[in-house]
Amino acid sequence: MILNVLGVTCGYGSSAVLSDATLQVSKGELLGIVGPNGSGKSTLLKAMSRVLPPRHGQVLLQEEDIYKMRPARVARRLAVVPQEAGLDFPFTVEDIVMMGRIPHLKRFQREGPRDREIVQEAMRRTNTLDLAQRLVTELSGGEKQRVLIARALAQEPQVLFLDEPTSSLDLNHQIEIMELLNKLRFAEGLTAVMVVHDLNLASQYCDKLLVLKNGRIYTAGPPAEVLTEELIREVYGCEVRIEKRYPGGRPMLFIQPLNHRHNTSHYRVHVVGGGGSCGLLFHYLQELGWEVSTGVINIGDSDWQEARRLGFSVVEAPPFSEIGPEEDQLNRQAMLQADYIILPPIPFGSGNLPNLKAVLEMAELGAPVIVIDERDIAERDYTGGEACEIYRKLLKSRIYLVENAEQAMAVMERGAEWVDK
Amino acid sequence: MQHRKKHVPIIIGLLALLLVILLLIGIGIGAVWIPPGEVLSLIKSGLNASSSGYSGQMLSHYIIIWSIRFPRVLLGAMVGICLSVAGAIFQGLFRNPMADPYVIGVSSGAALGAVAAILLLGNLGIRYSYSIPAFAFVCAILTILLVYNLARTGGKVPVMTLLLAGIAVNSFLSALQSLAMFYSGDQLHQVVFWLMGGFSSRGWEYIGMFMPYAVIGTAIAFLYTRELNGMLIGEEQAQHLGIDVERVKIILLVAAALLIGASVSVSGLIGFVGLIIPHVVRLIIGPDHRVLLPMVALTGAIFMVGADIIARTVIAPEELPVGVVTALIGGPFFIYLLRKQKTTLYK
Repeated sequence: MILNVLGVTCGYGSSAVLSDATLQVSKGELLGIVGPNGSGKSTLLKAMSRVLPPRHGQVLLQEEDIYKMRPARVARRLAVVPQEAGLDFPFTVEDIVMMGRIPHLKRFQREGPRDREIVQEAMRRTNTLDLAQRLVTELSGGEKQRVLIARALAQEPQVLFLDEPTSSLDLNHQIEIMELLNKLRFAEGLTAVMVVHDLNLASQYCDKLLVLKNGRIYTAGPPAEVLTEELIREVYGCEVRIEKRYPGGRPMLFIQPLNHRHNTSHYRVHVVGGGGSCGLLFHYLQELGWEVSTGVINIGDSDWQEARRLGFSVVEAPPFSEIGPEEDQLNRQAMLQADYIILPPIPFGSGNLPNLKAVLEMAELGAPVIVIDERDIAERDYTGGEACEIYRKLLKSRIYLVENAEQAMAVMERGAEWVDK
Repeated sequence: MQHRKKHVPIIIGLLALLLVILLLIGIGIGAVWIPPGEVLSLIKSGLNASSSGYSGQMLSHYIIIWSIRFPRVLLGAMVGICLSVAGAIFQGLFRNPMADPYVIGVSSGAALGAVAAILLLGNLGIRYSYSIPAFAFVCAILTILLVYNLARTGGKVPVMTLLLAGIAVNSFLSALQSLAMFYSGDQLHQVVFWLMGGFSSRGWEYIGMFMPYAVIGTAIAFLYTRELNGMLIGEEQAQHLGIDVERVKIILLVAAALLIGASVSVSGLIGFVGLIIPHVVRLIIGPDHRVLLPMVALTGAIFMVGADIIARTVIAPEELPVGVVTALIGGPFFIYLLRKQKTTLYK
């Protein structure tokens, strides 16, 4: 173990911000520290980097207590990339990166050619060579971050701590930095510990995640084991959907709406889906927290897949087969329970014609039907005119006629006026 | 920045040349004008300790220069170095351009120490001149610790608390000083004369009592330029870079106290030099102390010799206290800084 944290308790003033944290980091590992705001992530990092002496416990760097080591000795092995740049004085980028050599220089020693080489290399790796003569006060947040990483690398550390290294970076630089860390740990056995906000980034790159909640270590382990929907619910208090691209793969988080209408049965909507034409509509409905049913859709249709993925209730028919009376019945029941029925611009063939008939009947019964008339019905009629005829009848009844999914959402959210046709 | 760095040797050369010229003028000027060429040759023979061969007017010139004007001007240059280097140390350590030995009360502390030395030891009939710097140094360091801890909130030293703590401590120390003078009796004249600040009739013995403190203080500052750079980007980051922050702070504060104790002991209270010089030089050359400190030292010497020349010439044959001259230049500059800070601090 290159780094051992044994029962560390820290706090400012009287309250403990971090209680009894114990963890081990082995050589070459990339450990991500995650947790909600105020869970003690930065405090843990400070305690581990010899800045905040713990009230209890020990931090061992290669079996040595860092709080008993000289600062320079620590800094030759351990570099820290701080969160806030604090580069308020007009030093050049090269000056700042050269400061990484301070722990290696003796009092009367000046920077030599080897130091300059190391600094050049650190700047090359972090893509900051072009900035060498610029003043740090003139840099963007992302550039400053890369300069600070370059300075840390100039220390030639074995362990690197990073406090949210990518939070101010553009996507391309985020990837650059994470890949650089990966390269360094595989090629040179660098060990890295970083505080991360972005759980997807953490999942994708870290070997191990340490989850903090209220100043305590909640759990730790590989992302595939740690990142579960339950854990996010318990630690962050919100709902996410977690998927893996393949079994055992790194988990990915998808944000779910905060279901503020969850308990009211009032806002139900039935979408007459099919033919892969409902993706955007489904997305809006889910974001706005509607309880959605859809049908009848053939199993395997892309709308079917999406509806299942989003957890909608689906009235389904076997693949490539016509809608039977039983499914039609279920579909009409779902329509009757809904506050709105939406008919998106789906194609009609003989297989799903019962869907259109059902909508017409509902409209004639006075149910609120929203018709999204985005594509001419003639273009999507594969029944030889039957669908066109029913559709025209539908347009003549009392319905909301809209042009696209956004307008449909506006009707539902605001309750627009009846549109008579 | 880098292109400025390339010019550093040239700038330093020019500043050194300017200093030499000013020194020659400073020595030459006075009731009797002695031209630079003569000044040079007289100083040369002074260094060889041979006044033989001089007679009449030359001998009196030799005495004027070697015993009176040369030590005085030299002392002025060195006090300029000490005050401005001390200012640079404070500004670097506190990451604060308003930190100046005079403004934050350290000079008053040193002055009180010096007054105490004159009165206590003087009344005891002890030859005290060599203990003045020691007393001043001890009181300076106590004042620094007091102000620093008063101003510190949450691990930081904000400008406003530093200035407020400085004002409070300053006025308290001034009151103590007045009290001491009230009871000073026969020595009042001496104390007042000394407190006014200046270099008139400072001979070689002043340089003798001043040098050890000044040399040690300056040497420490020049050895810790790397650490000063580190401190400037923040104490926590300095710590990450392997700098023993608390230790470095104490060492540098001791150095600053040595410099101020020495300066105040020989020349009384001369304000604003430590404020103006480092600030202006930093604007020109950037914050890198490895370059900044030598430039600050040279510029401080130039400024002080220049101020002394002004003090001696404007109402000649009378002489202004040099502290008045520096305050007349420094006061407005301080106000300018404060206004500039206001726009950035209170956004």
